[in-house]
Amino acid sequence: MTRPVSALAAVIAAAGLLAAWELAAWLAGIDGFPPASRALAQIPRILTDGEALLDIAASVQRMAVGFVLGVAAAVPIGLTMGRSRHVAAFFNPLLMMIYPVPKAALMPIIMLWLGVGDASKTLVIFLGVTLPVIYHSYQGSRAVEQKMLWSAAAMGMGGLSRLVRIVLPAALPEILVGCRTGLVLALITMVTSEMIARQAGLGNILFNALDMAQYDTVYAMIVIVGVLGFVLDAAFERLRARLVAWAAPSHAIIAGTT
Amino acid sequence: MIAIEAVSKTFETEKRRRLPALCDISLAVAAGEFVSILGPSGCGKSTLLYIVGGFVAPSAGAVTVNGQRVTGPSPDRGPVFQEFALFPWKTVLGNVMYGLQRQGVARQQALARARELIAMVHLAGYENLYPKELSGGMKQRVAIARTLAYRPSILLMDEPFGALDAHTRTRLQNDLLDIWERDRKTVLFVTHSVEEAVFLSDRVVTMTRAPGRLKQIIAIDLPRPRSRAALLLDRRFQDYVVGIERLMDSADSGAPA
Repeated sequence: MTRPVSALAAVIAAAGLLAAWELAAWLAGIDGFPPASRALAQIPRILTDGEALLDIAASVQRMAVGFVLGVAAAVPIGLTMGRSRHVAAFFNPLLMMIYPVPKAALMPIIMLWLGVGDASKTLVIFLGVTLPVIYHSYQGSRAVEQKMLWSAAAMGMGGLSRLVRIVLPAALPEILVGCRTGLVLALITMVTSEMIARQAGLGNILFNALDMAQYDTVYAMIVIVGVLGFVLDAAFERLRARLVAWAAPSHAIIAGTT
Repeated sequence: MIAIEAVSKTFETEKRRRLPALCDISLAVAAGEFVSILGPSGCGKSTLLYIVGGFVAPSAGAVTVNGQRVTGPSPDRGPVFQEFALFPWKTVLGNVMYGLQRQGVARQQALARARELIAMVHLAGYENLYPKELSGGMKQRVAIARTLAYRPSILLMDEPFGALDAHTRTRLQNDLLDIWERDRKTVLFVTHSVEEAVFLSDRVVTMTRAPGRLKQIIAIDLPRPRSRAALLLDRRFQDYVVGIERLMDSADSGAPA
């Protein structure tokens, strides 16, 4: 599919969704479901409100810190698991136990340790990011061709050097697939963490508005979160495409923005 | 120079079943000799090569190179694999330079050496392409240049032309012999093509079906430098090929080795 065609399709899809929303809200006629036009009208107000912008910036900053720390911790673990059966045997059951737990459900406990501030929320985001990145790094590392590692060994490269210089770049396409999932999960855990520890941030605006029955604002915030996610994902996808342009096309992600 | 002494290899499967792959192989390869190992698929000939490379440890026996026991890979023994095993995130130039850079050779020197080798394998002008942009034959040329770059004294070639079409294969065979004539490295070459083995080698080592044992060693007494066109018309070449094919057939039919 060429770029203009897919861009057009996206515009049509977005317009269709808004039209359906508008129509459904008029037909339903309930307070908790304002039409799209009223909700969207709130967005300029929110985005020109200095306090709201600070809240949003603080959220995005926590998300970024949690994401970067999560990736930095997850990639070495995943890569080592992929190259050592013993390390994999140690981490796998642990990960299987943590995997189905909604990370935001840990928020109340974490708040007991770290308070309601940034540390708790960042830790929850960190937990949300690490699992998919570990999993994909593990798969990518496992799939590295044996002969490629042997070729490197014959050049005199030791185990650690091969892990950093061969396994890491060879697994990069797969690692970035994990990072993309991690990025979306970071956004989700960011909002839910702020739902539970309401003190500042994007989620704080959203849920305060809900408490005060300002449904226009609630929906406007949902749209803002959605657009934020879309923009972050599109930016990441561009970065990913540049970083792994050398890779065979089999690694391309179908649900991309390209 | 290479001494393979009573090497056996048994693989253990996940269910603890023991699979014998190589049985009591002894072979000496002199410096500068081109030796092919020929056998039916699954006979363990590649495993033997990996053991010489130090990538796989033998279950029994030992390999020594210049009197030193092999305990792991070394830049003195350069592998070339059927799967090419290039680094896909590196360009042609980056792949060929890689080993030199890892060994601390200065960038300018590594660059000069890499360009020289790329020209030698007839890939001048392709320096900045990535492996995914190359055909199979070109990939194998890069892999050969990458290994030659760090100057191993022994080349370990594991069915290097096995994944290529017939035409590309014969061109690469010719080019390999040209390159080999320049400095006559020791080559251990695994193949299942009788013609390829006879064309390239000083000696052809035949193996039995799994678990692989040495069957017979045939010295190929044909003049060098060799030309494919001349050899195909040469009665002695034809006799070697037919004789070894008969020998292989008898191995395939399960006759006792």
